[in-house]
Amino acid sequence: MSDTQWELYEVFHQKARGEHHVHVGAVHATDPEMALVMAKEQYARRMACVNLWVVKASDIHATDYADQDMFAHATDKSYREAYGYKVVKKMRGKASE
Amino acid sequence: MTIALKTLLYRLADDEVIIGHRNTEWTGHGPILEEDIAFSSMAQDELGHAQIYYSLLHDLGEANPDQLAFLREAQAFQCAQFVELPRGDWAFSVARQFFYDAAESVRLAALSKSAYAPLAQAARKFAGEEKYHWLHAKTWITHLAQGTGESRARLEAGLKQAYPYALGLFETTAADAAIVSENLCAPEAELQTAWQALITPVLAEAGLALPAATPVYGGRAGQHTEHLTPLLNDMQLVFRMEPEAGW
Repeated sequence: MSDTQWELYEVFHQKARGEHHVHVGAVHATDPEMALVMAKEQYARRMACVNLWVVKASDIHATDYADQDMFAHATDKSYREAYGYKVVKKMRGKASE
Repeated sequence: MTIALKTLLYRLADDEVIIGHRNTEWTGHGPILEEDIAFSSMAQDELGHAQIYYSLLHDLGEANPDQLAFLREAQAFQCAQFVELPRGDWAFSVARQFFYDAAESVRLAALSKSAYAPLAQAARKFAGEEKYHWLHAKTWITHLAQGTGESRARLEAGLKQAYPYALGLFETTAADAAIVSENLCAPEAELQTAWQALITPVLAEAGLALPAATPVYGGRAGQHTEHLTPLLNDMQLVFRMEPEAGW
């Protein structure tokens, strides 16, 4: 049972041109036009924003939490992760070493 | 310049503070949570605009913004009667906001060319917020018109009730000749024509037409409906308990 007759739209917020749109929440709306109107006031009133996306939640395809074991790593593959490189530390402002 | 300028600023500020306060009455009562938040936020925008217009008056030697908003009696207000009307049902508030936002869009465009630089600057600053208000208003008009039979009927009733009062936003007084000759703002008749041109296509697209109506005037001359005094009693109550208090 839904809490409203209006559909759920997921909201994605872009802080500056060129940056990724980031998922920030959801709004109920009758259609995409209304969803954008609602999203602006819920999610872009205080944060800097240059662009918003709304996507009907029912249009999103997702994996099943029952399958989350498939994301686990059987062996240590941390050598494949980029976090150890100095350039990453520099980018994060920790270039002291 | 000063008398005409002050008159213009009082109209602008008083319209904004009264409609802003009226619309806050929807806080906690909006049709859906998202709209409750959006409508309340926009009411806050209008109150913010009022504060800036009152500050411009204060710069011209009038009392400070708090005193202007909270210590004047009804007859000193120069708002149109349109903004005083009770919030009614949601369709009436949508209809009123549609007329109001269209008028504000047109007025801000004219004010952005005002000969009084601080006013022109304020008008340009408000343009972005008003752009969203107008988008919001148009979206709701379209949706209520195309919603259910009930939403359409209620919207039609709201538009019909609000329209004669909306025309009162363009009322003139003895001050208008100087407002125009001193290039403070475009003539009200010109603004009204631009306003009609803005609202008519939106309504036509939704299959709605406005009935011929006689404008309801009086507000700009300090004549108000019986609804303004109760609104002021409510809005001014806390401030008047302790006018010297620091906030």
